[in-house]
Amino acid sequence: MSRQANRGTESKKMSSELFTLTYGALVTQLCKDYENDEDVNKQLDKMGYNIGVRLIEDFLARSNVGRCHDFRETADVIAKVAFKMYLGITPSITNWSPAGDEFSLILENNPLVDFVELPDNHSSLIYSNLLCGVLRGALEMIRKLRYTANA
Amino acid sequence: MEWFLVTSAAVILFLQNYPLYIRSVPTENELKFHYMVHTSLDVVDEKISAMGKALVDQRELYLGLLYPTEDYKVYGYVTNSKVKFVMVVDSSNTALRDNEIRSMFRKLHNSYTDVMCNPFYNPGDRIQSRAFDGMVTSMMIQVC
Repeated sequence: MSRQANRGTESKKMSSELFTLTYGALVTQLCKDYENDEDVNKQLDKMGYNIGVRLIEDFLARSNVGRCHDFRETADVIAKVAFKMYLGITPSITNWSPAGDEFSLILENNPLVDFVELPDNHSSLIYSNLLCGVLRGALEMIRKLRYTANA
Repeated sequence: MEWFLVTSAAVILFLQNYPLYIRSVPTENELKFHYMVHTSLDVVDEKISAMGKALVDQRELYLGLLYPTEDYKVYGYVTNSKVKFVMVVDSSNTALRDNEIRSMFRKLHNSYTDVMCNPFYNPGDRIQSRAFDGMVTSMMIQVC
């Protein structure tokens, strides 16, 4: 697979400060532009969605995972493969609903929020909402692509 | 400038001679403390101009004991970005050694850098970070 040969199995190393500060600048600029936390949350979700529909191709090419047979497997792949690959962290999966169709991902060391302290006037801001959008976009694309296993 | 007086120690950060952060532990004499802080700024400026261009080394960022009065000792530290940190401790606190003061300034400098990285903090604002307050509190507890 040419994509894997170019990138190798290791992702390029870079310091995370620029990444964290870029995301922070993005969020604060959105806050200044929209002045309303709800609108900022929506914009972050939209941006994340656009990232997700593209990122899923990269993810599938690099990770070579097969089709997930149930939702629990999907949760595992998201937490242990995807988050590990792109953010270097493995969130924990908790809080499964009784029907097994909802769960929570808890991010202990989210690199997006290093050094960030939300001021009181932004109490309803969902700072990492971009990640929610990414997940939404990626999973919707999977549904549309009906990806089938390689081997 | 509002400040809460706590025991006999204080930490102040200045940017271009106006305060970004003041935290002190209660003393009886507020006015004297104000005066001391401003004269210490003058001493810091004097030391910086005396040092000239050689301000790259960590050891030279630490300015040391600025001047001892009969009640207090004042220590200074300046960053490459010209932010000045001033620490005032009670003279009766003889247990504090020079390298302890240096490590406290280093911690302050690191916490200040973290505050700067907060995207919601605008450079020049008063510092209102919970993490920074927590670090200063633990330092004050150590000193007093």
